[in-house]
Amino acid sequence: MDNFVPGAFFTTSASLVDSVDRKLLVVLRDGRKLIGVLRSFDQFANLVLQDTIERIYVGDAYGDIPRGIFIIRGENVVLLGEIDLDKEDEVPLRQVPVEEILIAQREEMEARQRREKLKNKLLHDQGFSVDFTETDLY
Amino acid sequence: MLPLSLLNTAQGHPMLVELKNGETFNGHLVNCDNWMNLTLREVIQTSPEGNRFWRLPECYIRGNTIKYLRVPDEIIEMVKEDAVRQRQATGGGGRGRGGSRSGGGGNSGRGEVFDVIFNISYYDY
Repeated sequence: MDNFVPGAFFTTSASLVDSVDRKLLVVLRDGRKLIGVLRSFDQFANLVLQDTIERIYVGDAYGDIPRGIFIIRGENVVLLGEIDLDKEDEVPLRQVPVEEILIAQREEMEARQRREKLKNKLLHDQGFSVDFTETDLY
Repeated sequence: MLPLSLLNTAQGHPMLVELKNGETFNGHLVNCDNWMNLTLREVIQTSPEGNRFWRLPECYIRGNTIKYLRVPDEIIEMVKEDAVRQRQATGGGGRGRGGSRSGGGGNSGRGEVFDVIFNISYYDY
């Protein structure tokens, strides 16, 4: 990503061309993390990812689900970054089976919903307006 | 090979479409255009929670509601063949911008893709 030319406009196409055929992490607006090889993109930053896995993180654990080829509509991408192949195995996280991480993910979601409900109730009792519902905040 | 030309190549093949609201559509791609509008046939629609299902004989999806598409692994090979055929037809060399560079990276688990696509709701949120 070092082809920044002073005076030139920053464009997605100029910055993505160096990432083609590299392993990328893509984060979507819905919070999903996809890891795959970037094969193609266009002026909208629509992406083609090959050999993609979806990685779910809960605490210090993660689980991978093989997903194959993705055509991602650019507007749903929050960020993407190249993965350093030399360092990717050094992360202090433990991999767990898919079934396990899905259970952990559901528990985390339910715990968050319970907290949110409790918080809204407390605020409501204090006379605050609680009609704000959390969206994806983007 | 631009994302939308890959989509063109995928016509007639099974795919999974997820909308921004989380709904998914499994079906065969009949047609698509430059705005990513799609028509699908023999569709199974899944609710965002993944607990309700509908069968639709056909459906139209407006491109700007789409989050992502998943296509079978084989499509990448087919798009390469298409490109070769096109090059031979025009008799010119050269590569388009963003074109795929030489193969690289073997595919794993090919052939399971149809199972994966049709069982996706099992894994989905």
